[in-house]
Amino acid sequence: MGKKKKVILPPQLPPDIPDEEIEVSEEDLDFVNKNIEYAGFLSKLDTNLINRHVTRVADYKEDELEALYEKKKKKASLKKSKEEEGLQVDRVDALPIKTLEGELCYRTVESNIAHKENGSASEVKDTDSDKGLVKLTKAQRRQKLKKSKKEAKRQAKEEVKETVAEGLHSDVLAKVEEELSAQDLFARKKIKLAEVGMALLEDPESNIKSLKELLHICIDEDHNIIKLGLMSLLAVFKDIIPGYRIRLPTEKELEMKVSKDVQKTRFYESTLLNSYKAYLLKLMAFEKDLSFHCIAVRCMCILLDAVPHFNFRENLVAAVVRNISSSDDVVRKLCCETIRSVFTNEGKHGGLVTFEAVRLIAELVKAHDCQLHPDSIEVFLSLVFDEDLGKSEPKEEKKEKISKKKKRKQRLEQSNQLLVSEGKRRKHELMTKTREELSADLKSVSFAPDSDERRRTQSEILSAVFGTYFRILKHCMNTSFQRPMMNDISSSIGLGHHPLLGPCLMGLGKFSHLIDLDFMGDLMHCLKKLAGHSDSDNDNPSVSLTVSEKLQCCIVAFRVMRNNLDALNVDLQEFYVQLYNLLLEYRPFRDRGDVLAEALKTMLWEGKQHDMQRAAAFVKRLATFALSFGSSEGMAALVTLKYLLLRNSKCRNLLENDPGGGSLSGLVVKYNADATDPHLSGALASVLWELSLLSKHYNPSISGMASSISSMASMNPLQTQAYLSTVSPLKAFEDLTIERELLKAVNRKSSFNKKGKRGSEFVIMDAEKVRSLESEMDEDVIERKFEEHFIVLRDIEENEKLRLELNKTTSALRLYEEYKQHRKLKQKRKQKKQIGG
Amino acid sequence: MVERLSDTVLKGNFMKGLKAEIRATMKILMPRDLGEAMKKSGVTTIDAAASYNSLDNIYIEDDVNLVDVESDGEGILSEDPECPYISDIETENKGQDNGERAALSESNKNIHLEIVEQKGKLDMLLEKVPKFSKYLESRRAELQKSESEEIDSDEDGDTNYSNGVSSNEGMRLHDRRAINSHTIDVWCWLVVEQPEGPALPNLLHTFQAACRYGFDSDESHLHEILDEKVFSKVLMFILCEADGIFRKWLGVSDSCRKDSFLKFMNTSEWKLVRPLMKSYLRSCLLLLNQVTDGQILVFILSRLRSSIVFFAAFPSLTELLIKISVHLWVTGEESLSLSSFLVVREIASMLLSDWYDTCMMKTYKAFIAHSKFFEHGNLKKVEFLMNSIVELYSLDLQRSYQHVFASLQHLANILSQTMKAKKKEELKKIHNWQYINCVSLWVKFIDCNLKDHDLQPLLSLSILIIKGIAHLFPSLRYLPLRFRCVQMLNQLSLSSGVFIPVASLVLDFLEHKGCTADATRVKAFDFSTVLKVPKHLLKSRNFQEECILSAIELLSAHFSQWRYHISFPELATIPLVLFKRFHEKLSNETLRRQVKRFIDQVEQNKEYIERKRAEISFSPNDHAAIDSFLQMEKSGSNCSFNQYYASVQQKSHSRSALR
Repeated sequence: MGKKKKVILPPQLPPDIPDEEIEVSEEDLDFVNKNIEYAGFLSKLDTNLINRHVTRVADYKEDELEALYEKKKKKASLKKSKEEEGLQVDRVDALPIKTLEGELCYRTVESNIAHKENGSASEVKDTDSDKGLVKLTKAQRRQKLKKSKKEAKRQAKEEVKETVAEGLHSDVLAKVEEELSAQDLFARKKIKLAEVGMALLEDPESNIKSLKELLHICIDEDHNIIKLGLMSLLAVFKDIIPGYRIRLPTEKELEMKVSKDVQKTRFYESTLLNSYKAYLLKLMAFEKDLSFHCIAVRCMCILLDAVPHFNFRENLVAAVVRNISSSDDVVRKLCCETIRSVFTNEGKHGGLVTFEAVRLIAELVKAHDCQLHPDSIEVFLSLVFDEDLGKSEPKEEKKEKISKKKKRKQRLEQSNQLLVSEGKRRKHELMTKTREELSADLKSVSFAPDSDERRRTQSEILSAVFGTYFRILKHCMNTSFQRPMMNDISSSIGLGHHPLLGPCLMGLGKFSHLIDLDFMGDLMHCLKKLAGHSDSDNDNPSVSLTVSEKLQCCIVAFRVMRNNLDALNVDLQEFYVQLYNLLLEYRPFRDRGDVLAEALKTMLWEGKQHDMQRAAAFVKRLATFALSFGSSEGMAALVTLKYLLLRNSKCRNLLENDPGGGSLSGLVVKYNADATDPHLSGALASVLWELSLLSKHYNPSISGMASSISSMASMNPLQTQAYLSTVSPLKAFEDLTIERELLKAVNRKSSFNKKGKRGSEFVIMDAEKVRSLESEMDEDVIERKFEEHFIVLRDIEENEKLRLELNKTTSALRLYEEYKQHRKLKQKRKQKKQIGG
Repeated sequence: MVERLSDTVLKGNFMKGLKAEIRATMKILMPRDLGEAMKKSGVTTIDAAASYNSLDNIYIEDDVNLVDVESDGEGILSEDPECPYISDIETENKGQDNGERAALSESNKNIHLEIVEQKGKLDMLLEKVPKFSKYLESRRAELQKSESEEIDSDEDGDTNYSNGVSSNEGMRLHDRRAINSHTIDVWCWLVVEQPEGPALPNLLHTFQAACRYGFDSDESHLHEILDEKVFSKVLMFILCEADGIFRKWLGVSDSCRKDSFLKFMNTSEWKLVRPLMKSYLRSCLLLLNQVTDGQILVFILSRLRSSIVFFAAFPSLTELLIKISVHLWVTGEESLSLSSFLVVREIASMLLSDWYDTCMMKTYKAFIAHSKFFEHGNLKKVEFLMNSIVELYSLDLQRSYQHVFASLQHLANILSQTMKAKKKEELKKIHNWQYINCVSLWVKFIDCNLKDHDLQPLLSLSILIIKGIAHLFPSLRYLPLRFRCVQMLNQLSLSSGVFIPVASLVLDFLEHKGCTADATRVKAFDFSTVLKVPKHLLKSRNFQEECILSAIELLSAHFSQWRYHISFPELATIPLVLFKRFHEKLSNETLRRQVKRFIDQVEQNKEYIERKRAEISFSPNDHAAIDSFLQMEKSGSNCSFNQYYASVQQKSHSRSALR
């Protein structure tokens, strides 16, 4: 009995099978011993169950299991209720049709419809449930239904009106029938789809053959039907694909005699796999067709997202990656989202798909010579790398698992040994063999690979990712030094000149701690070159990097250095020089202010102690910078400046006008604002006069900041750390962005405080002009104008009156004509009377 | 005591002045009219007799008239059918009198001739067929009946249109009093002599009739105005004198404000004056609505302006007046617009508590509706409208402040919504003239009132909005818009004395890259009337020039404001560096020269400040010392940079004048 239960798995098998299984395992044991030839089947069965268990519950701890179960149940019930709801809602739609059909008297004409509909509720239900599945076209279909309804109604009306003259209308009806037939065909196909789909979902085991039928439907002339078919298949596959990878039985296995159930399962699996393959092939074919491109990609994305563990996933990944840089926004977004979800939900497939995707993207980048949409590289940012891989936790888990497995094995073996008899020795051997096979299968299918394997995959992924990044960096360098021969494809698409650099730098920044030390020197070299390359060397400025990109290079360089503290000894001086000069290049609207603030933060704020010359140079430059730029950039600069002054007490000399420049001025005696090297600027000899103008700044926070900085001059040179402010440049920048300020301003209340009242003199207008207007008035002219005005008015009136008069007279004349006729008539009558008389 | 005394003195003075004025006008009016009357031979004696007759009678009928007026609650002057006017049977054909006047009268003549012809035919017919006349009459009666019914149902007692107008017409015409110029003269004289007297209602009645002439149903008035002289005389006299007469009667001084005027409303005279005054004011408004000639409108408005205080008693009329004058202000040409604005302003200042808000709202709304387009033709007009609103809002900041703040917040709100969405349709909400004109309107307002009032919140809000606009449209295509933004910022900075960094907004202008050597010159294009440069100009030489010259102009304005500030060298550092780099790459020789000149001037000033700075010993935190730095030089005007800036400005003016 138990056996049967397990073999025919109902689609919604409660996941608490494991407990059951453990309970019945002794029964199983007996069973195995009795029917040793069925061992193969048993192993198969076990695999199923375990896989199911593993896939669904593997990632959860014991106590979470319950919650998970509940969640799943809820989900299922929710789904059910949803379906029911859908049914109810749709029934409202559907029933009238039926009643309408019933009302229609002439069954001869509508026979095909009547036959099709058959008045059976079940079919209607099918249609509805199909609707539930194919959400995309629901609205469309409903519209169609309504249309047909209307048509039917109209017919009904006609019918009711003229039931008597039925014969007369037969030809009209024939026409209508013709019109309807196309619709009928469509509706019938839809219903067929729905029927088959529902049946499949209800009982996949017995209806598995219908998959082929569904696939067949997808070969149609009607595009809508094809789309519907693809979507239905998607829904079906999503639902019935098991949580494990199907391994088709080997020839040897096929040779073996197996029970009916096993046969059935095998058949089921192979059919499923074959049709899935056929479906995928169809999708791949459709992907090339323009009109189906979108839907095909959508189907593949959903499949990859839902069943990344299943067979043929490689093909799916390849297809999705192929479209990751599509020019179609919808398709691209879809693909990126899918890849991202693959990256983040590694539990579903054990990281192998991740690697596959990364590898494919890397190849894509290589093939397209770095001219792709930035989104395609940005997905790397969602990669999760486990840094403590292979350490404490995963090992323990694994141990547990192993111990469990071992225990069971041991038990099995023990019992086997107990029952071993000479005659069954062969069988026993076979069994152990099968078991080994089973465990191998188990391992291959299990999605929690051991840490070694994971580490290996991870390092492969990492090397692929960084390989891509380096490729991009190199490419940028090459194109910026040697003019690109081709007239970039990217620019024609509308992307930047280095579309991938931005996300690449971001990625480097994010994963800088994982970079191999061997790469480091090379990387720094690249970054230095990229950051330092200015457009003065190049006539074509569009080829060089933007300021934001250069700043990002600097940031990444610093990040990398910081994350690998003592591993390298690279001189970062050049990056400082770059920053010092980039501050001049910065344009608030063209370049990204947040990147600038970030650069200030990473390079000046978080860095090591700066030497005095450099600090002073930056202090001076930042102050000058704040004078020319908007409040948010200015604030970021001032915050950094203040921090620098706090950290470097000697720089506070800049706040005081010390004639002679002091003994600190060093090599350069006079400040030179045009110098490109902070060390040679002689900033120590300057005075921060900027602060006085900045304290007049319209923005109160900037003026306040400026005043507070200028008051630092009187600070005790020894107290430094105590005053370190907590606002970082980035925060300061964001606080003062125009968007934020505007929002604040919109909600602010304000009241006017009185400050004296003004008389009634003019504020802006020329009082003289007003007075001259007064004197301009000439009464005689006005009088004459009045007279003219009167005459015009009178003439108009006169005109009206005369016209009235004219109308009157003419109408009177017209009346005379009438009168004449009238008289004639009278006379005639009189004559008649006379004659009659 | 003192107040009262001064008041009476004023009144006395006023009355004297008024009398003299009226006398003078009378003197002017009388002889001419008499002479004109004399010319009409034959009628003269009758006229004189009639006028004499009427004089006597007026005294008699006065009391009746006044009683009627008193009983009349809502101030429509009562009619007195027994009024013994001069029944001057001047049945002269008007068409003949001034036949050559206009095309209209020409066509009138033609119609008249036609009528004569047709009538002749009809008469012949009637003579020939006597039975037809009966038939005709019966048919006409039928027609009339149905017509009058139609009118009845149509007009629903809307006017006092009587049934069967045409049938009664002949009778009514006899009933109505025709007024000739002599009657008017006499009445005028009477009114001047004795404002409380009975002539005033009659005159006002005639005035009303005149105002309604040709538009309203004349039949409802008992006074028929026979010729243009009467018409203009009545209008002129009433318009010129009514204000004085009422003031004299009530004893209201010229400088009387609303609250003191309201006191007069309790006096016994008020009851007599009120209906007359209302009739006068209403008739004036009617006239305003009907006349189209600009000069007449200006005249009426200027007369009404002196009587604004009377409107305090009639809120509904006030509302009407505001409506009319705002409409004329927005649509009328220069002097009309100005005088209607003066009326609005007068209402706002006289009737501050009741109507100020309405005036502000109405004018602002009208301005918004009118500032959708900004072309060469209406630059001045929009400018004027802006100035007017600033003027109006500056009357009482206590009350206008909230309005300004609310509308600025509204603008800011639109801007921040747009920033969130950043869609093309949304962006259109900002880069249109309506929005920009509103912003510049408030900038102007702040600019004007910053000296005397604390407008800090308004100032920072408007700076924020302007910066936001510039932020939203970074592309060079929006150069004219950005130019305007920076100009406004400079203006605000200059008037408020706060520091607003604009260099970064201007330096973008130098990034123009579309221009190559083969760039062509298109014919002159006025960048000041667009917000967005049309595409075909983007690569033209004009545009390149415009970019650079506007950058120079804006930066020089910015620098000239701070030319004596101690941190001028630092302020100029970054722009100088960039301008120098730009100068090196520039190929256009004329532009090169201008850029070079700018650089030299700035450097000169920079060196000057640095030299001066070397002499001082105070530190940046000594604010008082910094403020006094070079103050002496600031007051003098012979600064080279200042002169340079003036020349730049002049050039830009001449450039825009060229277009």
